[in-house]
Amino acid sequence: MEFTPSLLALQLVTGIALGAIYALLAIGLSLIFGMLTVVNFAHGAFFMVGAFVGVYFLGVTGNFWFSLVLTPLVVGAIGLVTERFLVRPLYGRGIDYPLLLTFGLGWVLIEAMRVLFGIEGVPSSTPAALRGSVDLGFGYFPKYRLFLIFATALVVLGLWLFLEKTRYGLIVRAGSRDGEICKVLGVDVARVWLMVFGIGTAIAGLSGVLAAPTRAVNPEMGIPVLAESFVVTVVGGMGSLPGAVVAGLLVGVVFAMTSLFAPAYAELSIFVLMAVVLLVRPQGFFGKAGLLG
Amino acid sequence: MRAVYEAIRRHRVAAVLALLLVFPLLMPYHALAINILIFGLFAVGFNLLFGYTGLLSFGHAAFLGVGSYLTGIAMVHGGWSWWWALALGVASAALAGLVIGYLAIRTRGIYFSMVTLALAQIVYYVFYKAERWTGGENGLRGIQVPAVEVMGLRLDFLDPVTKYYVIFVFVAAALWFVSRLLASPFGAVIEAVRENEKRAAACGYDVARTKLLVFVVSAALCGLAGALRALHLSVVPIDSLHYLQSGQAVMMCLLGGMGTFFGPFVGAAVFLTLEDVVTTVTKHWMAVVGGVFMFFVLFFPAGIWGTFIKRMERAVRA
Amino acid sequence: MSGLPILEVEKVSKRFGRFVALNEVTARFEAKKLSAIIGPNGAGKSTFFNVVSGAFPPSEGRLKFQGRDITGLAQHEFARIGIAKSFQITNVFQQLSAHENVRVAAQMRASRYNLLTPRAALRDLSDKASALLERVGLGALQHRPAADLAHGQQRALEVAMALASDPVLLLMDEPTAGMSPEETRVMMDLIVALAAERTVILVEHKMKLVMGICERLLVLHHGEFLAEGTPDEIRANDEVRRVYLGQG
Repeated sequence: MEFTPSLLALQLVTGIALGAIYALLAIGLSLIFGMLTVVNFAHGAFFMVGAFVGVYFLGVTGNFWFSLVLTPLVVGAIGLVTERFLVRPLYGRGIDYPLLLTFGLGWVLIEAMRVLFGIEGVPSSTPAALRGSVDLGFGYFPKYRLFLIFATALVVLGLWLFLEKTRYGLIVRAGSRDGEICKVLGVDVARVWLMVFGIGTAIAGLSGVLAAPTRAVNPEMGIPVLAESFVVTVVGGMGSLPGAVVAGLLVGVVFAMTSLFAPAYAELSIFVLMAVVLLVRPQGFFGKAGLLG
Repeated sequence: MRAVYEAIRRHRVAAVLALLLVFPLLMPYHALAINILIFGLFAVGFNLLFGYTGLLSFGHAAFLGVGSYLTGIAMVHGGWSWWWALALGVASAALAGLVIGYLAIRTRGIYFSMVTLALAQIVYYVFYKAERWTGGENGLRGIQVPAVEVMGLRLDFLDPVTKYYVIFVFVAAALWFVSRLLASPFGAVIEAVRENEKRAAACGYDVARTKLLVFVVSAALCGLAGALRALHLSVVPIDSLHYLQSGQAVMMCLLGGMGTFFGPFVGAAVFLTLEDVVTTVTKHWMAVVGGVFMFFVLFFPAGIWGTFIKRMERAVRA
Repeated sequence: MSGLPILEVEKVSKRFGRFVALNEVTARFEAKKLSAIIGPNGAGKSTFFNVVSGAFPPSEGRLKFQGRDITGLAQHEFARIGIAKSFQITNVFQQLSAHENVRVAAQMRASRYNLLTPRAALRDLSDKASALLERVGLGALQHRPAADLAHGQQRALEVAMALASDPVLLLMDEPTAGMSPEETRVMMDLIVALAAERTVILVEHKMKLVMGICERLLVLHHGEFLAEGTPDEIRANDEVRRVYLGQG
């Protein structure tokens, strides 16, 4: 294969599209961790549920935009229930317990999808409005993947506006596990944590419905995704939203470029990247030294 | 009752071994008993790091798998005898523990769980890709151990009961070692690190090095479990290395009782028996085990054995 | 000042982001003297304590112990070279018994990586722990879990643990924090007794407590040393009085 500049450029954009999904996943994880100090081991499962729910709504309504809006709401609702009844009772105990609980939850969610949709999974295709390719100048690129990049950018922008410009966002940014600052601001800490968990899982669900047309939708699809989200958060720095975005894009690009030159090692390459970051800068690119590393 | 409990506590290794000695006679079928031995050891090895040192690793499948694969590879591709292959398996797992541990210990708390999972996935992918050596997706096959020669005696390894007792010897040695370690000065250091790292450092203990040493020992024990598993199954499935397998160790430990000597064994026994029973009734095993696990996390975090011990301790002190 | 200083702090600064907690502080501490760092809240006393006890390294400057440069040494090295500390916020092994707390602190000198011999065999460590606990008044309570001890008793446990490593230099951060007047008196008596055997440096914000017993005081204010000298000299110092007016 000839590695022309346009081929490389196309692969780069492919990497960015893949990275967009990673960035969304990492953002959801980091939000939940930053606010609740909980690592959501069901994150890959929520992603998977989002994909299934998205395909389901698309099938039922025939409208991709409906499904794009409804899916995060549904997945976020599952997240709200999870936090309220399963995670909340565990805050008083050691930091490992919510993690352990979400791990068990992941198994239940996987099986639930098998029951609801079958063990083979469901077929997923690109929505009609977004089929076809776009000429980027250096080559033709699938319209849907371009859409992915823009959709993610929109979500990131929206999240940034929420965090920086709204009162609620201020509370989320300022909040710590103690909830001291929240109490001073006269805010119900429990409600904030509930919302953040809901938002984090909703974003995971959104990344699932967005990713569905690009991959096989089956109950196991979230299993490797969990590990990959961890790679992104380690590289970017846990609890850092800019880190999640930058690292997500970087990981996506590394995966895509390695797929081009040494396809057998693509999955491995991103984990090796993580190992290198651990050696050189354990807190991640944007993480705070000493806090977690 | 109290006197019996006190006696068991003081001679916990002997008590456990006595139970395991008669175990095959109690079990409906031997494959389950052997599995309980092997995974009991896996859980005990994991528990050393999780229950006793307070480090929640989600990557311990790497050590189980490395132990299995290296033992299998040495025998299938190298023609080694089972004894040397097993030694290689254990040593390799310890080495993997050193590397992964070194990288993971640079992180703290919850971060550690994420990192161990991801690092162990590296091992998974490496072994998955190295098809020539590992059989890739299909796993490693053809590990033949027809007989075990000991002091001139030729034991038929294919007979389940004999197999159980051969494996039992290794597990017994490992349990004895773990018991000694926990009762040693190093065992006290482990406890201190678990209780309060900052304080342990202020007392003069190198926390990072302590953790690393426990990591390596834990990995070696899990590697032994893996090596024994390879000899038992004659194959090494690729899933041995996946983080879902690591998750099983976590579940067994919590179900049984982390931070107790016998808990992990109880956890392994319950987990495997449950799996056996449930899969005959429904194929939705993952949901059942996930649900049971969540139930324990919420309501019985001390686990079955752990809760029992707590009740006994309270009764004894009253 | 006579003799080799046991601890030297040379132009030590500590910054947290843009906040300067310590600004080029320099001090020398003589061996076998009881000294105290005093100052109002927010003066930088805790930061000074943390740097000098090895919790974190200074941003700038050097730290010397018995003539040896120990700047940047890891926390666990401090106890090994003979510097022990007791924390301001009680920091013991909650689930372990008081006896085990002290025993494991004492074990550091004897054995760190021994995996095989039973620690019950290390009788002299156990005896040492009991003796130390007696000394701080916890003899009767030594087999209780540390979490069950009253606040003042936990502070005493802290002291016993610090002594367990046979330190040459003992650093104590607000040792009487949260104690009743009676407990405070007992603790101060203990400190005076300890100061006769080894160097003790206290960090305190209650000036009255240290005036009577310390040989040397250093007053910290906004991250800098305002004054130092004997209690009489400090008492007569106008600047110090101004700074402390209305406070302890």
